[in-house]
Amino acid sequence: MKHILKYIFSICLLFSVFLAQAQDTTVTKEIIQEKTKSETKKPAVKEILKDSIPKTDRYGLRVGVDLYKLTRGFYDKDYKGIEVVGDFRLTKKYYLAAELGFEDKTTDDTRLNSTATGTYIKAGFDYNMYENWLDMENLITIGLRGGFSTFSQDLNSYKIYNPNPYFGELPAITEGQKYSGLSAGWLEVTAGLKAKVFNNVFVGFGVQLKLLVMNSKPSGFDNLYIPGFNKTYDGSFGIGFNYTVSYFIPLYKKKVIIPEIKK
Amino acid sequence: MKKIIAFVLLFAFGFSSCEKDDICDANTPTTPRLVISFYDINIPSVKKKVTRLKVIGEGQTEGIVFNKTAIDETKYLTSGDSISIPLKPDADTVTYSFILNSGSTDATFINTDAIKFNYTRQNAYVSRACGFKTIFKLNTQAPFERQLPDADGPWMQVIEVKNANIERENETHLKVYF
Repeated sequence: MKHILKYIFSICLLFSVFLAQAQDTTVTKEIIQEKTKSETKKPAVKEILKDSIPKTDRYGLRVGVDLYKLTRGFYDKDYKGIEVVGDFRLTKKYYLAAELGFEDKTTDDTRLNSTATGTYIKAGFDYNMYENWLDMENLITIGLRGGFSTFSQDLNSYKIYNPNPYFGELPAITEGQKYSGLSAGWLEVTAGLKAKVFNNVFVGFGVQLKLLVMNSKPSGFDNLYIPGFNKTYDGSFGIGFNYTVSYFIPLYKKKVIIPEIKK
Repeated sequence: MKKIIAFVLLFAFGFSSCEKDDICDANTPTTPRLVISFYDINIPSVKKKVTRLKVIGEGQTEGIVFNKTAIDETKYLTSGDSISIPLKPDADTVTYSFILNSGSTDATFINTDAIKFNYTRQNAYVSRACGFKTIFKLNTQAPFERQLPDADGPWMQVIEVKNANIERENETHLKVYF
């Protein structure tokens, strides 16, 4: 529980930084935008004033991969995983979003060593809070997801906890046991940002707070790690984060009329 | 510059939560000990205190520590009306020597009974921090055997199984009348 509080605190602090960052960038962009307007579009000033600034929003599918999960396998021998992320723009602010993944994680606790292997799917929506200027397509999102995972667990080794080791400490028992056909479901609140770095390539970062709602535990053991949900704690909360690189496939455009803000 | 600071903070926050898991709480019921209560042979419903009882497991040189705060020999001695002794989580039998009036100047008072306990074991999951525990069940056939020869005669006159399932330490598993 202490652990979870620490995480929540950390995440709150983290977002305080992002908020500050977001406000800063908006201000600078405003200035730049005004500059360009005054410099380049001087001959067309009258037209713009008459109508309003025409703007097209691009709609389409964005697909990507979680770099953190992908690269972690190179330096962490206890981990193999991949996550494919995707979102589809529904309206100006709302995006359908989903993540598909596979994880194979060995958890080495002091008294237990177990491996969880399985696949998961998360689906939901993102809401973009960021007000883009002209053709910018950045996102600062909050979203909701429902997650589901089917997996198996291998108990590799375990130790007997004996508070009275009169006959000496016991070595770890390495009789492996496999618990298969396990499943878990959870809800997620996500917060993230995606920035267009060039053309249709986006980099993004996101954190997730998870709430376990369904957990089929094996008899005589516990689900210590759930693919997609990550490590389980005493309560039903969990956390996660991803670092994504994605490519936007534009499918169609919509013209948006932005009313003139000031003369 | 601001971006760099943001990233540094991000990593700092990320690692601030990295810490070893909490340790196993001492109040969590883990591998239980065998609880033996002593009763008066003349009035079987009344508990009776033993005098200077020392319990040594087979193959061990030191006795079970009953009094952690005491020094020297007295920490192995108990004069209470019940004792808790550990069973072996890696074997189906354990043999203990129960020495009454241990360390007495008069050697005729000292009486040793050796008893072998027979049981079955089962490993059960406790938690991430504690791992597994072993719970025991005394055999229905010959749950205990007196080890012979007993040169000074038995001081435990009657031994009775109260609860064969050794899963918790808050109950008596074995009753000894003397």
